[in-house]
Amino acid sequence: MQKVGGKMKWIPQDVETYLNAKEYVDTAVIPIYSVSVGGDMKQSAAMAEFITLLTSHLERQFTGRLLLFPPFTYLKVEKTEKVLGDLQIWEENIVNSEFKHIFYITTEIEWRTHENEVDGSLIWLPSLPLEQMSDSQKMEMIDSQVKQLLILFTQKWHENG
Amino acid sequence: MSKERVSRRQFLSYTLTGVGGFMAAGMLMPMVRFAVDPVLKAEAGGDFIATKQKVSELTAEPVRVDFTFKQKDAWYESEVTNTAWVYRDDKTDKIVALSPVCKHLGCTVNWNTDKEHPNQFFCPCHYGRYTKDGTNVKGTPPLAPLDEYPFKEKDGYLYLGKAKPRKGA
Repeated sequence: MQKVGGKMKWIPQDVETYLNAKEYVDTAVIPIYSVSVGGDMKQSAAMAEFITLLTSHLERQFTGRLLLFPPFTYLKVEKTEKVLGDLQIWEENIVNSEFKHIFYITTEIEWRTHENEVDGSLIWLPSLPLEQMSDSQKMEMIDSQVKQLLILFTQKWHENG
Repeated sequence: MSKERVSRRQFLSYTLTGVGGFMAAGMLMPMVRFAVDPVLKAEAGGDFIATKQKVSELTAEPVRVDFTFKQKDAWYESEVTNTAWVYRDDKTDKIVALSPVCKHLGCTVNWNTDKEHPNQFFCPCHYGRYTKDGTNVKGTPPLAPLDEYPFKEKDGYLYLGKAKPRKGA
């Protein structure tokens, strides 16, 4: 068996690690956020920051079991059906490549109404305003959120074997 | 008027000098890097990093200690936070600082979170377990004990170095 340390991010070294340890890494995590250009730009960036920090911390906790995908992004002004369709194509591809569990993590409230249109688990969290916080406060908060996710992930892993 | 032609002898000697130069550079470069390396490393790794943990407050119950340092990733400098599980050993009165990185595939292990096996380090990813001293429990996925941090005490605070692997059980 291959002994590895480190990370499971979307970079060549980690993907190689993943390929060598495929039988253990059965979970794909896909951050989802929209991009708006114009008035909501700042809010859009804040959401992206939150999701990025959260998922990278999550990846630290679960390095050996999940692969963190690059985020699925789309323009806020795009039609829902189109975005949903795109995500379904991602899902189809990821399922075909032997991932047993898929988690989507997003702060976009719209996704809650489409929870049932994807097979993976869609996790919605409120975006927290990180801007005003010090680094240690940020970490503490992200950490507590990740602890919640930890419970959810463990549950799902138990459920689906 | 035609330019002076390069003779066969001249051509060969130019080429050989050129190739020889490359070969010498190829040999010297790693040597120079090897000599300079420690200088470059000292900055990146640092020796011991301060934590907010007071040594006097450590008990037999492992606590999570976070510490932050700067790391350079290509041109992007970022703050990296590492974690250690630290406790004071009852019997020897020594401090033990363990790395939380599971030796199986690198998840983060937690203390005492598996109800069926209390007082052990537990990895939620593939149910790896370690006893309190960091020794991997046989029959669970990890094949080596948790890495250990060298530590120092300075002004009452705990300083941690770079985690080192230990011999397997």
